[in-house]
Amino acid sequence: MADAPAARWCDISVRYPYADAPAVGPASLAVGRSERVLLVGASGSGKSTLLATLTGLIPHTIPAEVTGKVELRGEDVATRTPAQWSASVGQMFQNPEQTLCGMTVGDEVAFALENQALPADEIEARIGSALAQVGLSEDWRGRRTMQLSGGEKQLVALAALIAQQTPLLVVDEPTAHLAPAAATHLRRLLLDRPGDASVLIVDHRVDDLAGLVDRVVLIDADGHAMDGGSPRAFFRAHYDKLAALGIAIPPPAALDAALQAAGIVLAEATLTMEEAVAWLEALPTREKAAAQEIASTFAVAHQAGQSVQASTKVVAALEGASCAPLFGPTVLRDVSLTVRRGETIAIVGRNGAGKSTLAASLAGLLRLKAGRRIGPMGAISFQNPENQFLAGSVREEVRDAWLAAGADAASAEAKAEAMLAQWGLSELAAAHPFELSQGQKRRLSLAIITAGGRWPLLVLDEPTAGLDGAGRAALEAEIRSLAGAGHAVALVTHDLDFALASCARSVVVDDGGIAADGPSRTVLRDTALLERSGLAAPALLPLLHFLEEGRC
Amino acid sequence: MLSSIHPLAKLVACLVWLTASILIFSAPFQLAIIGSAIVALVFIEQRSPLLVLALMVPFALFGFGFLTTSVLFRQESDFALRMAGETPLGGEAFSAGIVLFLRAIACGLISAAFALTTDAGQFIKALMADWRLSPRIGYALFSAMQFVPDLAVEAQQIRLARAMRRGRPPRRIPGPLETASLIVPLLAYAIRRASRAAIAMEARGLDTGINRTVLGAPLLHRRDAAFIGIAFALLPLLWWISKF
Repeated sequence: MADAPAARWCDISVRYPYADAPAVGPASLAVGRSERVLLVGASGSGKSTLLATLTGLIPHTIPAEVTGKVELRGEDVATRTPAQWSASVGQMFQNPEQTLCGMTVGDEVAFALENQALPADEIEARIGSALAQVGLSEDWRGRRTMQLSGGEKQLVALAALIAQQTPLLVVDEPTAHLAPAAATHLRRLLLDRPGDASVLIVDHRVDDLAGLVDRVVLIDADGHAMDGGSPRAFFRAHYDKLAALGIAIPPPAALDAALQAAGIVLAEATLTMEEAVAWLEALPTREKAAAQEIASTFAVAHQAGQSVQASTKVVAALEGASCAPLFGPTVLRDVSLTVRRGETIAIVGRNGAGKSTLAASLAGLLRLKAGRRIGPMGAISFQNPENQFLAGSVREEVRDAWLAAGADAASAEAKAEAMLAQWGLSELAAAHPFELSQGQKRRLSLAIITAGGRWPLLVLDEPTAGLDGAGRAALEAEIRSLAGAGHAVALVTHDLDFALASCARSVVVDDGGIAADGPSRTVLRDTALLERSGLAAPALLPLLHFLEEGRC
Repeated sequence: MLSSIHPLAKLVACLVWLTASILIFSAPFQLAIIGSAIVALVFIEQRSPLLVLALMVPFALFGFGFLTTSVLFRQESDFALRMAGETPLGGEAFSAGIVLFLRAIACGLISAAFALTTDAGQFIKALMADWRLSPRIGYALFSAMQFVPDLAVEAQQIRLARAMRRGRPPRRIPGPLETASLIVPLLAYAIRRASRAAIAMEARGLDTGINRTVLGAPLLHRRDAAFIGIAFALLPLLWWISKF
């Protein structure tokens, strides 16, 4: 038992009731003691299902047919209830609402510790320490978790997890709704565990995770696990397979692959853009020129074009607006913002800055406390995709969206099928929307809102959260297509690389108003501004500096 | 002052007062209870008189039902009439109806005094810590308590999603048909939310069989004992005064 791995899945296969095929498996993998493992896979490949078998939540609490065996430190998981494993395994689910129990912040963090019957003094100390580590002050203790923004809920869920101090942490997309600076800080906090603590992390945003984990495991389309070895070797060795599976690839690994395709092999696979730039600089002179050309093409492909001209027709505008969330106090004052036809705008800012409130106000879905809004109503893709679903199946959702957009019954069916194929949802057409994985739900909500192109303004609230590489690519293409057709698209996002790639203009929300508004190529490269606003520069930035400085 | 009293001490006092209000069929006694509760809420606890009045509307309607029943259906109210005995407030039936009406108000005011001066979270924690309420039930109550305000937000999100489908902004206040159509989605949301909370609680170790710590549960103080003593002593005093 002393040498047994922290966790081991042996030929695990899970089939949900009434499902034709297993959701995952048969899969085998192990997480060693003090090992940090990154689990990657396309949306719907069964990653979350696999994690839920670890303490027996599946099948103990969530009914499913399970074959194979799961062990924790050499002990069969079935010998205890999921609750009894909570002192050994800290779990954070993909949706923070699945981790939080609906209490106040202080009660949420204390909950697992109270269940372990720890002394009150120790619980108090751990709450204080955990809140401080995730950057929340003591006065947050009395706030209700369900009234927090998506990112704030994620911070509380992380604080609750850190406070548990378990020897194994299992986290499913822990930073999907967090601003970049906070996400980077918390990833380091999670992965830099003391002693022989182990971490298993699932994430689609692997950019700065790759440098923090020991090993990568891939869940393929058939639900089988494949040990990918060290992250440095993984993305280079399996680039084609990952691309085919639609898995997100970090920009440095994508650049590495582009160079390799042209016959330029960097001395070592890269994990960060700084490393890639250092290797580019070290290339022999003849290769350097070719590499610069490839890097330049790569950089252009990862940046949106120029913003539209000021003479273009206005789609929506806020003038001196005071914006407040539903049933909440005013969070933004004296906001003036104009959106024109064909414009793509990224709305960025720290967690709780009021981005979603601004976006919903811009779409005309929230009444302003002061000031005025001009223009027809826009549509919004909610941060929680479930809020978008009204029908009984995936096919009905998309078909109804086309019918609402004015298509006749016959063409709506055909268009719905085409759209399902475009968003990779054809095989799930008969499923209920709530049965989908988080990434698949996100894709469906985006398909619904873009169906028929009836909206002059589309607001997408954190559309990349939970999306895999294929989903991001489809979204990026859809945004370009919508903008090309004259629609305005506003994107609330924490993913600054995505913002840079898909939005010509960026708005930074901070301190109760708009801190900056301008071309993304300027705003998203202003490191001082980004730092002040709790944001981190896009990963592409070192490459852009390298190309501009002409160091080749 | 009442807000600082231990919730369970307050609960015991309120239950005793409610029992007294139910058992003592006397209009002056009910008026004395009403007066005491108003003094406690409006003058000691500084609650808005309008709020207290608004809270009494359903109890007044309930009591009015008793009053009309007593006056119009004397045969059926025989027990109440016998209990009313003396009839200082006019006819026998009317007097009995008035007592029933006042009793509904008195019970409402006692309940309001408890609800308006007690933190629900602290009350549940006290029940778990002192009266051994099962954590499963306690945290189910916690979730339900936090869930109610979230229903309004969820309903609004559903209305927005529907409005977007239709292509026009939602009405400020939903009509009866729209309200009825929200029931099934909200019920589905409630079930989803409850199952997620259950999974979250299980994953975080609720009910492992060990005697769990309850953090932040209110502690009993001397002032709670004094409060219980005063509350108990006040009842016979009010009864005695009401006889004159």
